[in-house]
Amino acid sequence: MKTKILIFLFFTIATSVFATNEFSSQGQSDPWTQQQLLAPADLAKVLNDPKAPKPLVYSIGMQAIIKGSVDIGPTMRPENLNTLKEKLNKLPKNTQIVVYCGCCPFSRCPNIRPAMELLKNMQFTNYKLLNLPQNVKVDWIDKDYPMNE
Amino acid sequence: MRILILFFALLLFGGTISAQSTGLEPGNKSPQIKLPNTKGDTVALSSLKGKLVLIDFWGTWCAPCIAEQAELAKLYNKYKQSTFTNGKGFGIYGVSLDAKKSNWENFIFTNKINWIQVSDLKFWRSPVAKTYNIQALPFNILIDGNGIILAKNLHGTDLEKGIASYLRKLMTEN
Repeated sequence: MKTKILIFLFFTIATSVFATNEFSSQGQSDPWTQQQLLAPADLAKVLNDPKAPKPLVYSIGMQAIIKGSVDIGPTMRPENLNTLKEKLNKLPKNTQIVVYCGCCPFSRCPNIRPAMELLKNMQFTNYKLLNLPQNVKVDWIDKDYPMNE
Repeated sequence: MRILILFFALLLFGGTISAQSTGLEPGNKSPQIKLPNTKGDTVALSSLKGKLVLIDFWGTWCAPCIAEQAELAKLYNKYKQSTFTNGKGFGIYGVSLDAKKSNWENFIFTNKINWIQVSDLKFWRSPVAKTYNIQALPFNILIDGNGIILAKNLHGTDLEKGIASYLRKLMTEN
C-alpha cells in the first residue's frame, strides 16, 4: 500500500517538475529576457503620475488601448513592422520604449516576437515588453489601468 | 487508497477547475446581446429565441478561433434544422472581438459564413467581453430556446457531443 502511494507521489511530483521545465525552456527561445518584461502595474503607475517621465508606448497589436500609446498595427504583418522600423529609425538607441499587443497569451501571440526581434536587431538598449501574459483585457482593462479615450 | 488517489487528483487539478469556474454558469440566463451585423443592422441574441444556440466569441486575430470556424460551419449545416429537447433548430450567434471592420467582413465573406455575425469592433474593450466575463478566446456558450445556459467553452469533439446530447430522441418522444 505504502509503495503504491509513494509511486503515485513520485509520478505526481515528476509530472509537475517536467511541466515547469517545459514551460521555462519555451521561454528561453523568446527574443526577450525576464528583465525586459515590464509589469502592467509599473507602467500604470508611471502613466497615472503627471510628473513621471513617460516611455514611448507602441501598440503592436489590434488596437492602441493603453493611454498614450501609439498604434502601429499587428507587427506580424511586414508593412506594420516596417512602420515600426521607420519610427525607430528616428530615435536615439537609448530611448525608453514599451511595446505591447495583448490579443492572446504570449505563447501564441504572433506580434510580440517580430517587434522584439526588431528592437534587438536595431540595438536599442532601453526597451521593454509589457507583461500581458493572458491578454490586454485580463491584465490591463480589468484592472482599471489607464486607457485611451 | 482510493481516497488518497482522489485527494492527490484534486490537488493536481483543483487549480485548473477553479481557474475556469468564472463567469456565467449553466442554469443561469444568458445576458442579452444587441450588436450590429456587417450591414450595420442591430441583431439581438433573443432573435434566436426558441432555438438551441451557440454564442461563439471569436476574432480574426485569434488563430484557434479561425481554425474552429470550419467545424462550426459543419455543425451549423448539420444541425440547423434539427429538433432538440429544448429548442427547434440550431443557430450560431457569432460575436467578433475584431477591431477593424475590413478584417471581420473579409473573413466572413471569404469563408461564406452563413450564420449571424455581430461586432461592435471594440476588440477587448467590447462591453460583451465584460458582461460575459471572457478571459480568453475562443470562448463559447450553448443556450437553450429560453436563453438558459447549458454549457460553456465546448471545443473539439466536446462541442458536437454537447450539441448532439440535446437532440430530441424520436423513439422516446413517441
